[in-house]
Amino acid sequence: MMQESVAVRAAARAVDAVKIYGEGDAAVRALDGITVDFEASRFTAIMGPSGSGKSTLLHCMAGLDRLTEGKVMIGDVDLSSLDEKKLTLLRRDKVGFVFQAYNLVPTLTADENITLPLDIAGHDPDKEWYDTVVDTVGLRDRLKHLPSELSGGQQQRVAAARALVSRPEIVFADEPTGNLDSRASSELLEFLQRAVREFDQTIVMVTHDPNAASRSDRVVFLADGKVVDEMEKPTADGVLDRMKSLGGE
Amino acid sequence: MWRATIKGLMARKVRLALTAVSIVVGVAFVAGTFILTDTIGKAFDNLFSNIEKGVAVQVTGIPKFTSSGINSQEAGSAQRVPADLLPTIKQVPGVRNAIGTLSGYAQLIDTKGKAISTGGAPTLGVSWGDDAQLNPLHLVQGTAPSPGAVVVDRHTATSHDLHVGDHVTVLLQGPSMNVTISGIAKFGTADNLAGATLVAFDPVTAQKALNGHGKFDTVDVAAQAGVSPDELKGRIQQVLPAGFQAKTGAETAAKNSSDLKQALSFFNIALLVFAVIALFVGAFIIFNTFQILVSQRTRELGLLRALGASGAQVRVSVFAEAVIVGLIASVVGLGAGFGLALGLRALLGAFGVDLPNTTLQLLPRTIIAAFLVGVGATILSTIVPALRASRIPPVAAMREAQPTTYAGSTRRRIAGLVITVAGIGILLTGLFGGGSNAAAFAGLGAATVFFGVAVLSPLIVRPVTRVLGAPLRRRGVAGKLGRENAMRNPKRTASTAAALMIGLGLVAFVGIFAQSIKASSNQILEQTMKADYIVTSTQFTGFSQDVADRLRKEPAFSVVSEFRQGLFGVKGGSAQLQAVDPATVGQVVHVPLASGSLTALGTGDIAVYKDAATANGWHVGDTVQARFAKTGTVPLRIVGIYTDKRILGSYVVSLSTFEQNFVQQLDIMVLANTAPGTSSTDAKAAAKSVTKQFPNVKVEDQAQFRKSQANQINQLLGLITALLGLAILIAVIGIVNTLALSIYERTREIGLLRAVGMGRRQVRAMIRWESVIIALFGALLGTAIGVFFGWAMVHALKSQGITVLSIPGGQLVIYIVVAALIGVIAALRPARRAAKLDVLQAISYE
Repeated sequence: MMQESVAVRAAARAVDAVKIYGEGDAAVRALDGITVDFEASRFTAIMGPSGSGKSTLLHCMAGLDRLTEGKVMIGDVDLSSLDEKKLTLLRRDKVGFVFQAYNLVPTLTADENITLPLDIAGHDPDKEWYDTVVDTVGLRDRLKHLPSELSGGQQQRVAAARALVSRPEIVFADEPTGNLDSRASSELLEFLQRAVREFDQTIVMVTHDPNAASRSDRVVFLADGKVVDEMEKPTADGVLDRMKSLGGE
Repeated sequence: MWRATIKGLMARKVRLALTAVSIVVGVAFVAGTFILTDTIGKAFDNLFSNIEKGVAVQVTGIPKFTSSGINSQEAGSAQRVPADLLPTIKQVPGVRNAIGTLSGYAQLIDTKGKAISTGGAPTLGVSWGDDAQLNPLHLVQGTAPSPGAVVVDRHTATSHDLHVGDHVTVLLQGPSMNVTISGIAKFGTADNLAGATLVAFDPVTAQKALNGHGKFDTVDVAAQAGVSPDELKGRIQQVLPAGFQAKTGAETAAKNSSDLKQALSFFNIALLVFAVIALFVGAFIIFNTFQILVSQRTRELGLLRALGASGAQVRVSVFAEAVIVGLIASVVGLGAGFGLALGLRALLGAFGVDLPNTTLQLLPRTIIAAFLVGVGATILSTIVPALRASRIPPVAAMREAQPTTYAGSTRRRIAGLVITVAGIGILLTGLFGGGSNAAAFAGLGAATVFFGVAVLSPLIVRPVTRVLGAPLRRRGVAGKLGRENAMRNPKRTASTAAALMIGLGLVAFVGIFAQSIKASSNQILEQTMKADYIVTSTQFTGFSQDVADRLRKEPAFSVVSEFRQGLFGVKGGSAQLQAVDPATVGQVVHVPLASGSLTALGTGDIAVYKDAATANGWHVGDTVQARFAKTGTVPLRIVGIYTDKRILGSYVVSLSTFEQNFVQQLDIMVLANTAPGTSSTDAKAAAKSVTKQFPNVKVEDQAQFRKSQANQINQLLGLITALLGLAILIAVIGIVNTLALSIYERTREIGLLRAVGMGRRQVRAMIRWESVIIALFGALLGTAIGVFFGWAMVHALKSQGITVLSIPGGQLVIYIVVAALIGVIAALRPARRAAKLDVLQAISYE
């Protein structure tokens, strides 16, 4: 363990993260003291039954939501020390996102959607990196199309390309394959894997699909707002077994 | 179904309330106008019947020529009643007493030497009736008038600080008089008569001051007890020679009241026009809001259908919403109408029109009109959204709403073109076809053109927005997205912009029209005015001939030429008649002649404008049968035909002919040339000494005249523009509504943008740019339509002397800039709300 943590830098980490929704008797501890590292240049999956706090963790890690207690770091930055404006800048420059659906701005073409974070920042895309990303997702011939003219799988790949184009420190994906059929899922996961292996990107993905989780390098299991287990080099069956024991789906 | 409707209303109450504001404004104008008019009417009915209360019968000359409409005053009065008829009338059995009355022009100059003027109401001199029952004036202070002393009305006295014993000057048609104020009186129950100032003279002085020449305007008769007015009227009529009539006091009161109401009807019509504009603009906003609401509720309505609601039920539920909104708006509008009527009455008061006190009149007609207009406009504008709602298939409940790609339909193209062309046709028919309904036609045509363009405009939203938004590309992603958003739903952008288009179209039209009037009047001055100095009244009435006499005494002026004006009957219609001094008119005005001459214009002669002559087949030497109120039909011989009517109008007679045929002899304008070798300083000093003596006239050189004409037009322009600003205000509400609804639709999208790093400021900028583009789109369309209207109007009025089309470019640019600012203002709240969206909530899904 010591050896690994020296060799592998944490791109993001949560320390004693607590998130409480509501007050008094109605209070729900969505995160109940989670401490977890997400290593750089790795593909980590977060799994857990419904209500385990996996989406809440992702939102807090990504600066979309704030912790009640504890802290969240992206690189060396403590998110709790940032005001709303700085959080926005952090999301823009350091974090990439892929959501389950509604990832794209319908009035912009695929091309424009991919470069959206850069446009918002007023930066020009790194041409070489942009070409690499576009070619890897295999969308070269669809760039001028509007989202409504793309299939669900293509839309998610555009979203993934957008998440990567600004070379963020970390990409968060929230059930990115949730609305896709198995072939489209497989293509998207393939792309995410290549991004990590070939281009040294860091990806954290929330999923409830053991097959998707099995494409990652490491799975973190959550239940009742706590980290209950981890699995390195997961297989689909292994993940499924583990989930069953957690009482999930 | 009802429950769903009510719940739906409650859920959207803020949106619908904003929508209703536009209807409230329209209804308020309609109701306010009716309430005010009815109140004024009632007040005058009361006032006049009160005044004529003691008068059983009134004897007057029968007018030999009358003109209906707002010009009825200008036809002048009928022949007057000779004083020797008075004893005859007094001897009729049943007559208790009879007195002769006289009225005419009399203007007070206050103790500080300033002429007391009104906001357009007449400045009247009357004879004091020495019979308390017959005299409408009741002393509240001092004594009755006597030679050298007059009584003034209480309103004038209070507002100009006049007191019993003050020495004042009275300007008259003839020589002015210096008098003392002997008393102050009320007019019936009011302090004055609808803003008119009153000076009462004793009967002897009145004959001189009001040009009686031994005659009276009326003879007012009081009956003995037990004799009915109708009976007495019959008896008196029998002793009257031909050309005179007897009417009961009640008949006279009704006639006077209706004349006054008619004079105020212009005010009425103007207010109703603004009401129609407000409603028209409001209809677009309601249409748009319901359209958006229906499309946002596609799933909900689909679900209702899936649960078994029929298309008709869905339609009814949308209509029911509209009716409820319309009803509430009408009630609120009716209430606001009361406020508006009170405000307008106060405004009239501020202008010196002291209306007799009466409670505000709310007639059933007003209530019906308010609800008809409020609910009607709402339902009309909901037809299309309701039909659309009823066509939503049940399966829509299960479908994800897809952003529709818009390609303008052929049907829209054809319908829009047909409506626009029809509108242009109606407009041009109204403008060039003439006829009594010309204004109504032009208005209907204009509304139809606006509607047609609104139907067509979605087709050009994309190309126009692309160009308009091009500079935004350099304003980063916010500008780019704002532009895309403005383009994404062309129908919505177009109908949102339509409200502003109408407002700006009208403002631009009025601006162009005013500018053209100014340019044309300058051209008239350049091309036809030879006089160095122009003397006009500071009021709507004419002024004393004394002014011209006084000018003639100034050595600085060599030529002084008087002009008078009246209405006469010719060829079955009525027309303006100008009276000039044939000897001098040619020296002050350039009159190109086709044949004959103006100097030959003697008593019983007339000169005619070329077009009028051609239309009637008249030539020099022919005789025209003219009809006058005073003298009846008089043959006039044509001695000249001229080719420029811009100063003289279509018919010209000599002053001597005018004197024979009109009772009132006030100058409407005097033109003067300076004597050779007179310096402009001397001329100005001479002009000043004249205005000092006659504060009711302006003596201006051409440059000053030009400036004061322009000022008058600018004032009117300002007033109308301010009223049209109301339509623009409604348009702002429309943009706010659309933006708010669109943002609601795009919650998820805005959440996404925020999630990937768009700052709040950028979100606000994005909404702002969208709003600015919508506003600019409306402004440009409106300006284009305004220019077209201006062009058409100016061409239509070519024969009225509006010969120059002048487009105030700078002003139009300012309007467009203001429209862009309106876009910024309209976006303020929606943009703030969009920026405040909770990112997490916006992007989370069930």
